[in-house]
Amino acid sequence: MRVELGEVVFGRDGFCLRGSGTFGEGVHLVSGPVGSGKSTLALLLAGLLTPDRGTVRRQDVKSVLLLLQFPEHQVTAPTVAREAASWGLAPDEVLALAELEERADDDPFHLSRGELKRLTLACAFIKCPDLLLLDEPFSSLDCETKRWVCGMIEERGSGTTIIFSHEQSVLPRVDTIWEMEDGALIGRGSVPGAISSWRHAPAYLTYALERGAQPENIRLSDAREALCRIRD
Amino acid sequence: MQDPRLRFLSIAVLSLASFLSVWGALGALVWLVVARRRTDAMLQPRVLLPLFAMVGLTALVSAWGGGNGLSYFIRMSVILLLAAWAYAATAEGEALAVAVWAFGNRAGFDIGLIAEMGLAGLGIIREEIEQVGLAMRLKGIRPGLRSIVPLALNLVITEIRRADEVARLLTVRGYTAGGVVCPRFQTSLNEILASISAFLLGLLPALLLRDVFILV
Repeated sequence: MRVELGEVVFGRDGFCLRGSGTFGEGVHLVSGPVGSGKSTLALLLAGLLTPDRGTVRRQDVKSVLLLLQFPEHQVTAPTVAREAASWGLAPDEVLALAELEERADDDPFHLSRGELKRLTLACAFIKCPDLLLLDEPFSSLDCETKRWVCGMIEERGSGTTIIFSHEQSVLPRVDTIWEMEDGALIGRGSVPGAISSWRHAPAYLTYALERGAQPENIRLSDAREALCRIRD
Repeated sequence: MQDPRLRFLSIAVLSLASFLSVWGALGALVWLVVARRRTDAMLQPRVLLPLFAMVGLTALVSAWGGGNGLSYFIRMSVILLLAAWAYAATAEGEALAVAVWAFGNRAGFDIGLIAEMGLAGLGIIREEIEQVGLAMRLKGIRPGLRSIVPLALNLVITEIRRADEVARLLTVRGYTAGGVVCPRFQTSLNEILASISAFLLGLLPALLLRDVFILV
């Protein structure tokens, strides 16, 4: 199972995205500053945009799911329970995972953005598609919920998960790091080797690297452990 | 057309002419082709085509019921084109400027503000329809009567909420009634000539109607 970008070029409103690479099974992190083209890349990978040049090929991918950055853009039903059902899922299971059982009959737009984000994330994790594209999954969430999201991503046993995020504090364990720079997709490679060349790395990783530590992954706990190892 | 006063006046006269007769509609269409600059904005075909389809359907029903469906289709299609041009060519603040110029800083400002909010709302609705379409594709929901009706209701409720939020925001900012705007307009000779020709075209169906009334 993999997704291949073959010399893709996509332009719109003066912005140009270009990139090549293969997203295999595992967890991929595409990082980069706001406006660098992460969401556009997510739409291209989901097949919702067509590149001007190049190809997006999916091999052995039977189901694709993209979670948009703004969860309210994904709402199509008048109540929270019916919104869960609109994903083709049993509402009870979704609401239990999102801890929104009490809000089943509420209007989805009456939820806070964080609650709505939790709802859409719960739907995505329960659906468990082959290719899961998460556009800024940590935005609007508190630290506790961010850690819950990380746990759910890490628990996905199979398939390809691609996270598009500029998150700098709470991150999951990932297999590959990519970066968007001025619309260009740059593959940094597999973790842990890729960490040293990651330009938009969180401050805690940069701190650990500067002190000669070699974190095994990109989580705060990985940086801590690496620092502890060199102190020992 | 740079001067929104002349643009709005021309569109109002031509829309009336189109509504009154097929000849008026054809005249308005010719005017639109000649007077509209190539650089003027226009709505995209994917936005216009569903509207034309709706007019066409109504015309078919009218023709099936013994009415003059073809006349209805021609007149309404031209009005639709005029409205599309007016909407696409109107820049932010122009409706407010024209209303203040016409009715002053109190009533004119309020009318202009409502018009501006309405125009901005149309743009937002268009974006939301696109977003809903995207959400449906992501969820694998097929467009149909069962899905369209609740989605349309959602859109209406969202717009009512947005209007309520804007009203609250205006109140918080101290708005009660009226305001101060000093509108400035740029008018060229070509635009004046185009407006006069629109006015003359507008008289055409009125003259034809008078002939009809004399005959009767």
